[in-house]
Amino acid sequence: MTSTDLQQRDDGELIEAILDAARRGDVATMAREAAEVSEMTRNWATHIPWDDLAALDASGADGELARVVADLTEMWEPAHLRNPVDPDEEYALDKNAYDFYRPAGRDLLARTEDFYGWVQARRRTETWQYSRVLEAAPDSIAEITNDLGKRTRGINFNSQDYLSFNTHPAIREAAVRAMRDYGPHSAGSPMVLGNTRISDELEAALGELTGLEHVTLFSTGWSAGFGAIVGLVRQSDHVVIDRLAHSCLQQGARAATRNVVRYEHLNVEAVRQHLVDIRSHDTRNGILVVTDGLFSVDADWPDLVTLQRVCREHDATLLVDVAHDLGAMGPGGTGVLGMQGLLGEVDIVMGAFSKSFCSNGGFVASRSPALKQYVKMFSGSHFFSNALSPVQTAVVREAARIIRSPEGDELRARLFTAIHALRDELTGRGLTCMGEPSPIVPLLIGNEKLARTANRLLFDRGVLAFMVEFPVTPTGSSRFRLQVQAGHRPEEAREAARIIEGAIADSRAYLSSAFGSAAR
Amino acid sequence: MYDAIVVGGRCAGAATALLLARQGHRVLVVDRSSFPSDVISTHFLWPHGMSYLNRWGLLDQVTAVTPTHTVVDIVNDGIPLSGSVPVSLLREHFRDLHGDDSGVVQSYASVRRRVLDQILVEAAAKAGAEVRTHSTVRELIISDGRVVGVRGRASDGGEFEERARIVVGADGRNSFVARTLGLPRFDERPRCTFAYWSYWSGFDPGRGQIHRRGRLGCAVVPTNFGQNMVLVWGPSEWSREFRADVPGNVQRALDFVSPELGELVRTRGTREERIYGTLDQSGFLRQLHGPGWVLVGDAESAKDQCTAIGMTHAFRDAELASAALHRWLAGESSLDEAMAAYEGRRRSQNSAAYYDYVCTLSEMRPYRHDELQLFVALRGNQEETDRFIATHADIAPVSEFFQASNLFLLNDAAKESSAGYPVFEDFAATSRMYQQNLFA
Ligand SMILES: Cc1cc2nc3c(=O)[nH]c(=O)nc-3n(C[C@H](O)[C@H](O)[C@H](O)COP(=O)(O)OP(=O)(O)OC[C@H]3O[C@@H](n4cnc5c(N)ncnc54)[C@H](O)[C@@H]3O)c2cc1C
Repeated sequence: MTSTDLQQRDDGELIEAILDAARRGDVATMAREAAEVSEMTRNWATHIPWDDLAALDASGADGELARVVADLTEMWEPAHLRNPVDPDEEYALDKNAYDFYRPAGRDLLARTEDFYGWVQARRRTETWQYSRVLEAAPDSIAEITNDLGKRTRGINFNSQDYLSFNTHPAIREAAVRAMRDYGPHSAGSPMVLGNTRISDELEAALGELTGLEHVTLFSTGWSAGFGAIVGLVRQSDHVVIDRLAHSCLQQGARAATRNVVRYEHLNVEAVRQHLVDIRSHDTRNGILVVTDGLFSVDADWPDLVTLQRVCREHDATLLVDVAHDLGAMGPGGTGVLGMQGLLGEVDIVMGAFSKSFCSNGGFVASRSPALKQYVKMFSGSHFFSNALSPVQTAVVREAARIIRSPEGDELRARLFTAIHALRDELTGRGLTCMGEPSPIVPLLIGNEKLARTANRLLFDRGVLAFMVEFPVTPTGSSRFRLQVQAGHRPEEAREAARIIEGAIADSRAYLSSAFGSAAR
Repeated sequence: MYDAIVVGGRCAGAATALLLARQGHRVLVVDRSSFPSDVISTHFLWPHGMSYLNRWGLLDQVTAVTPTHTVVDIVNDGIPLSGSVPVSLLREHFRDLHGDDSGVVQSYASVRRRVLDQILVEAAAKAGAEVRTHSTVRELIISDGRVVGVRGRASDGGEFEERARIVVGADGRNSFVARTLGLPRFDERPRCTFAYWSYWSGFDPGRGQIHRRGRLGCAVVPTNFGQNMVLVWGPSEWSREFRADVPGNVQRALDFVSPELGELVRTRGTREERIYGTLDQSGFLRQLHGPGWVLVGDAESAKDQCTAIGMTHAFRDAELASAALHRWLAGESSLDEAMAAYEGRRRSQNSAAYYDYVCTLSEMRPYRHDELQLFVALRGNQEETDRFIATHADIAPVSEFFQASNLFLLNDAAKESSAGYPVFEDFAATSRMYQQNLFA
């Protein structure tokens, strides 16, 4: 390199000079300046006729000069200054909730403001999927209002009531009877005087459904999962947990010990390796292996037979969360456990009533009376929480009765007819349903912007679907979680699928996006 | 009649031609440049980029003249992280994308384009591809709506016309093929960086370093000819002011982002070439294929330089596209099936997530408090630091690192607190200061 090379003007400056000359129609100067442009830039900006500028028609009559000016301007001026966008929408679509997880500053009140600003931008652009409210009982059709006060009515895949018990006469009758007999309030912890005779009956019914006779009730499913883990696991113990296990289990694990290993979703071989690894240096402490039965965002389930065997081989204890499958699938409503022939065989089972049993609440079950008493004493969320109300308890007991009756089989058959109708129609339209046929139909989208925009359209087009994104799913793998009910007619499901496909196609066009949603 | 004509003969084009020719197909490569020559680009190759070269038997030629390293230093607002990409993640990456994990290497390098592109183009010729340099394609021959060949000007000034079963557009961001076909841009992300760089001798930075502070970044990596590539970048909306004094502002940016590096360059460095730069780096995608044509490299998806990934992605495209084209040319599948397979990989969820990652980073907003704390939490956690680096370089999927259960665990396992890092002292004031254009 010679020293003149070193002193040479940089390409930006040269392009500015060329643009200047172009405005005067001075093609000779354009060519002269262009001769100095670096070889690098010439080899890159191959669409500019660097060597032929002198030959341009200076009058601009053929439009060539204008084209060259436009191309050079694109290289010279920041692109976004030329394409203004709606800043609210940009902000709303670009960020993730996690961006606000660690706010700065010592004022705990003030530092929530940034997050709130983002929420407001999402609300204004109608891309906030949370906190909608019902205007009437959620059925296969629901009437709802979003948190801007905008109302809509649509085919409802946004409620978790897999067996459509919310409108079932016997369930409502059970609620009324309990209300008459015991009143609305349980008035105490289940450890004190919060339980009724109905609670005992419910524990027995759940014991029969899971094959594990020692059952403890919790006032929410979340507190059952959290409570089971913090009740049993101590600082020096270990938790080995499926990466995608439910939030209450993840948070329970973190609260109980620092020794948490997340394993690849469903990978039993990975669990085995982690157990070998832990046992190679720790033979004294406990290991709790934690998984969901039916996973609520991927709609798949693990090989529990092998998993339970692997746990026993390494003196680890298995906990399975059957919140989404118990009652809604499997022989006699026994869920994934029943499907794998494991009734009564798993160490610890926990579940929630909110999906198929028409109420808040949850439970922990095992074959050990000692475990039951221990969990009652040491799971803070059992001892120090008001018991399920008598009405809730009665509803769940009645639900459990129906689930185990022939009517339960009939409801599950109807549910699966609707599930197949929905999945088949979506798949037939080229969309990707994840997992296995189950009351949860996860429709894969991927990109958050696309999902948020499609969700906005669906609201207006009469389909109620919950869009899940980070932190429920990993970044970049958002999806619609469609929750099917026994009350859905197959034709409703197909109609919804058609509307969803249209909304996704329109959103893709709106964002002018070329991305699909294949995994890799 | 060729099996394939490849327009453009650098990272994407020469590699595609090489791979097709090795499988016995008749290939013509046309490039308007003559070689060796540079093209606008810094030229950092992450380990998967190096692995591709190794898979093709070209790595030794590169490392014979280029320094390589495995550990990279990444310093964000004074929070240092060092690590290297784990072999296991590299293997997983190649298995997932290409179905085989042979040839992975852990090293990275900064290879001048005049060195690398020359090696690629020679390898293509040696594999049997016909290479015409200093030849420009000026027209696509279209028959019944299908691209069937090209016309252009040869190095001797004469016209040429050639036909092929498929035309591969490997002609970069400003792709002639795409422009001629009138292909629109999708997923446009206009916010991007300006980047200025040159080559300095006179000091040894040890290994590659990447620094960020506020809205600016800088990097130094040893490259060919005993020189170091030194690069600064910032938000393109500051570019006009930056341009007012390029050499002065390069130094100003270095001093701001990494005073140590600024000092090293100022006191010990000798600049050996002019300063190069561009701000034309907005991200976009184009349609991947159509009747008689397919795009690879920057032609199909261009994005900002801030993660230094374009050349490696061009290599990836070359493997994916040539594998797909081979299946079709060998009669094992229809062209539509082959192209659908290519598209499935290139327009997947993981690709979309990484594209978003780069485009968001290229807006060069100051790091947020939570991001900086994440960097602090990563200190002393080598496994996750390495995974973060692999994620940043598109070796491990974005979704596996940025997953709630992982981030919360990282948080819990943190060994350090923010106490030792001045950026946290008066974070609000520092953030405001970072918004000021340093060059205004
Ligand atoms: C500032 C900057 C810094 C970068 N830094 C890095 C980095 O550190 N690491 C990294 O991996 N990537 C980096 N990149 C990205 C990288 O440069 C590109 O992704 C890469 O060059 C793309 O390769 P390609 O083969 O697709 O296109 P190119 O390298 O652009 O090659 C296209 C070729 O096509 C030829 N051509 C065009 N039109 C015609 C025609 N009509 N007839 C014949 N030939 C034609 C051109 O002459 C050219 O040789 C950077 C980019 C920029 C802008």
